[in-house]
Amino acid sequence: MKMEGVTKIYRTGLVETRALRNFSLEVEEGEFVTITGPSGSGKTTFLNVAGLLDAFDEGKYWLDGLDVSRLTDREMSRIRNEKIGFIFQSFNLIPDLDVFDNVDVPLRYRRLAAKERRERIERAVAQVGLTSRLRHLPSQLSGGQQQRVAIARVLAGDPKLILADEPTGNLDSGMAREIMDLLEEINRAGATLVMVTHNPEYAARAHRRLHIADGRLVDLERITPLPLNRRTGEARQAAAPAG
Amino acid sequence: MEFGPILRAAIHHRARTILIVAEVALTLAIVTNCLSLIRNLKSFLTHESGFDDDNMLSVVSEPFDVAFKEDAYQIASIDDDVRRLGAMAGVSAASTTNFLPWAGSGNSGEVKIVGGPDTRFRSQQYVADPHLFDTLGVHVIRGRTFTPQEYESSASPNNTAFSTVVTKALADRIFPGEEALGKRLENPDHTQVYTIVGIIDKFYNPFEPIDEHACFFPGRSNSYLVRAEPGKAELLVPRIERALLRANDGRNVRVRTLREVRSDYDYSYQLAVIPLNLVMILLIVVTALGIVGITSFSVAERRRQIGTRRALGATREAILRHFLLENWLVTTAGALLGLGLAVALNVGLVTLVAGAKIEWPVLAAGVALLWTVGLLATLGPALRASRVPPAIATRNV
Amino acid sequence: MLLYNLRLAWHSLRRYPMLSALIIAGIALGVGVATPAITTLHVLGQDPIPQRSSVLYYVRMDSWDPVAPHPSASGIPSQITYRDMREIMKSRIPVRQTASFPAALYIYPADRNVRPSRETVRLVFSDFFPMFDVPFRYGSGWDKAADAKPEAVVVISHALNARLFGGHDSVGRTIRIADRELRVVGVLAPWRPRIRFYDLLGNATREPESIFMPFNWIEPMEIHSAGTRDGWKAMEGNPTYLESLHASETVFLQMWVELPDPARARAYHDFLDAYVREQKRFGRFQRPLDNRVTPLLDLMAEWQIVGPYFKAIAAISILFLIVASLNLIGLFLGKFLARAPVVGIRRALGASRSAIFLQHLIECELVGLIGGGLGLLMSAGVLAVMNKGFERITHIEDLFQLDAVMVLAAVLLSLAAGAIAGIYPAWRICSLPPAQHLKNQ
Repeated sequence: MKMEGVTKIYRTGLVETRALRNFSLEVEEGEFVTITGPSGSGKTTFLNVAGLLDAFDEGKYWLDGLDVSRLTDREMSRIRNEKIGFIFQSFNLIPDLDVFDNVDVPLRYRRLAAKERRERIERAVAQVGLTSRLRHLPSQLSGGQQQRVAIARVLAGDPKLILADEPTGNLDSGMAREIMDLLEEINRAGATLVMVTHNPEYAARAHRRLHIADGRLVDLERITPLPLNRRTGEARQAAAPAG
Repeated sequence: MEFGPILRAAIHHRARTILIVAEVALTLAIVTNCLSLIRNLKSFLTHESGFDDDNMLSVVSEPFDVAFKEDAYQIASIDDDVRRLGAMAGVSAASTTNFLPWAGSGNSGEVKIVGGPDTRFRSQQYVADPHLFDTLGVHVIRGRTFTPQEYESSASPNNTAFSTVVTKALADRIFPGEEALGKRLENPDHTQVYTIVGIIDKFYNPFEPIDEHACFFPGRSNSYLVRAEPGKAELLVPRIERALLRANDGRNVRVRTLREVRSDYDYSYQLAVIPLNLVMILLIVVTALGIVGITSFSVAERRRQIGTRRALGATREAILRHFLLENWLVTTAGALLGLGLAVALNVGLVTLVAGAKIEWPVLAAGVALLWTVGLLATLGPALRASRVPPAIATRNV
Repeated sequence: MLLYNLRLAWHSLRRYPMLSALIIAGIALGVGVATPAITTLHVLGQDPIPQRSSVLYYVRMDSWDPVAPHPSASGIPSQITYRDMREIMKSRIPVRQTASFPAALYIYPADRNVRPSRETVRLVFSDFFPMFDVPFRYGSGWDKAADAKPEAVVVISHALNARLFGGHDSVGRTIRIADRELRVVGVLAPWRPRIRFYDLLGNATREPESIFMPFNWIEPMEIHSAGTRDGWKAMEGNPTYLESLHASETVFLQMWVELPDPARARAYHDFLDAYVREQKRFGRFQRPLDNRVTPLLDLMAEWQIVGPYFKAIAAISILFLIVASLNLIGLFLGKFLARAPVVGIRRALGASRSAIFLQHLIECELVGLIGGGLGLLMSAGVLAVMNKGFERITHIEDLFQLDAVMVLAAVLLSLAAGAIAGIYPAWRICSLPPAQHLKNQ
């Protein structure tokens, strides 16, 4: 995943708000990157743009080597479906559907055969330990269980890139740790993980930590962890790595 | 005072506004055209015959006895029938004529003015005895009915001069601005001459083309009109049949009250009026429900905004007024568009159904109706809006 | 995917039962009104004799008054005179031909105690039966020899046969009509065309006559027409009926010819023109040459057999369905927009815009079809009521019936209603930006 000078402008009436400013970033395959920043700094916009949920106004964005700015809605949907997995703070399960059907949603849009879908769903749900709750509705599950269903939904789709938006924000610390363990496990299995979080403890578990402030990206750490205070006050813009 | 913000809100919620405008416009167009068609049909139904319809009976004699082939026998039988009918208890007048009101059919023919230009006047033409106008309850406004001599001589095969009684409408058409009484008409072949001896006032018999042009000649027919004393028509039906069969059994006799004949005639029009009414009512109900639905959604969507207004000091009445006014504006816009559509649809329908041209009172009534329906439909959701508590403004979602 | 979408639609319907019921009721009402309206047009307007309508032609000639055109809309008389019929029947161009007119005659039962009854009679030539595909239960029509003489033969209706002979095979029995004894040669099967296509004058939904007899009995029995007679020229003196038949300009005969192809139709038209030109030399046919050889279906259209009010009501009913559907746009829109967050999730999980559009349109169409099904039931009820209403005029018990074509029409109407109501809301919901409605916090 590679962004170059990506800018996102929100227009309401005459006022323009630059949610992302000249945003450049490269995340390598298999990497675990966390993003922190105050609310309103543009973290969510970044995830939306990265997840092809939102268009951007300037700059370039390559995903898995593909220039996404020229894609049609159908092609973008297909990439979201096959290559990207989302995990949200508020889980975003479909309330009318039970666990099985929720995990089934992305597979449906992939037009897989019924047998394969069933196998994938059952495997994914087993992996998050909810096999006994297959026919429960989200409202019948605890917050942690709901988030595990959301993770199973990602697992079933087997994406290359997982975008997580404060996945532990609504959970108590015990459950949050379980979710983090699960995510790290998926990352170790090969998926790239980009996670927005407020929690410095979880942020520290990443290979690399980024900070967004006022729509700009600040590279806190690259590969080798460095003391946080060294960079304080010296925030600089990450130079786009050449090539 | 509130027009500005309401208009801006309406324009902002384009889809909702367009929907209501479209619904109101189409509904107005359809309802006014239905009303116009119904009025058109009703004009057939409520047209006055000018006769004492409620107290009359039609009697048809259908002879099968070969004796009836003889003219003299037939004439004697008819005269006997008329005598018997006139003498029956409960009968106030009886007449032989081939004119049967509301039968939906009749005779027509042409006449021209003797010595005048070769202009033909087509009208209904019937034969009758001198008592027809008494029987019908029609006033001879000028002149007289046939004399017994004129009536008797009509049966003679060599007669070429007849008297005739015409309707005022026909007299005015043939002799506009002139006294028609005493004028002479003839048939197109110049073989018969008719002198106008009487003019009757109102006359209407549904027979195409629908008009009041008719003339009557002295003559006999196998059918009779009977006028009963008030309220006795029904009772007379079996009694007349029995009496005529007793007089001569070589025939069948059919007796019907004119009320029954007329109800058959009206029936085909009612067949069209009923579905039109039904569609119109359903349409208004559906449109009202649609407005209720859309307005309800709009209220639900704006609960917070309404709460804020309330918190800022708007009274319940102000909120209510706001929604009613908003709806009234949108309905009016729809009605204006609908007037255009109504006329367009009417042009289409007029080519289909002659003479159903839409009139302004109908359009005005349609607009008034839709205003009322729109207001009533908005009232429920608007009241609900006015009950939104101000506290909702400060509540987090 | 269709099944999946149908399942989602079903879920969604059950989730808001009141709203769904309202929408379904709206469509049911629309379809329930529009389908019967279209059925009336379909039934009254459909080809009453599809296997033969293309070869049956109605013959008219402008024999009217030189001074003024015929007062009807077409400007020429609707029927022809006896004398012209006699002449043009000599043509060999038509494969079959018949003149006919209705009459009312008494039949006298063998039992003297039973009163004679007045029956509807039609005088026809032998070609009438094969020309109009008249169905026989017993026996058949008569032959050309019986036409010419005429022979004392008669064809009676199923109902009259039931009344007179208890429904048994009465071929060979005789009945007394007026002053003659006529031998039954054929008994019709029950025959009730909805449009009496061989006589479109007046009320075209009347039932066929009870008795059909050879046309040429008109002279020996002096049979008068009981139908429309139209004249413009009185005859001098007091001619007898026979004299007036041969010399009168009164039109009262309906003339049908069977012409197998357009070329023959043209040839026949030329024949009529030639005949009229010749007649003009004798001082008849003083009006401009205007003969018409009109195919059955064209004649039905020209004479507006389907009454204009039927068309007006049908047009209004279809508009009603459209308005009912328009009303549902608002309801669907509200329902769909309330679901925007779920749609956001689906979009995030890879549903393309078209997949979302399809999902919602299918929901609308499902509602449309359910409503259409109810509307069809309603139509059946409405048609039953209409049949009761029309029975008084037409004496047909089941004039209007839902047939396969109408069921198909109802299905198409409900799909159309679903589309009208659904396309805009489905488009709105699918074009919402996915990110905006995802719950991110």
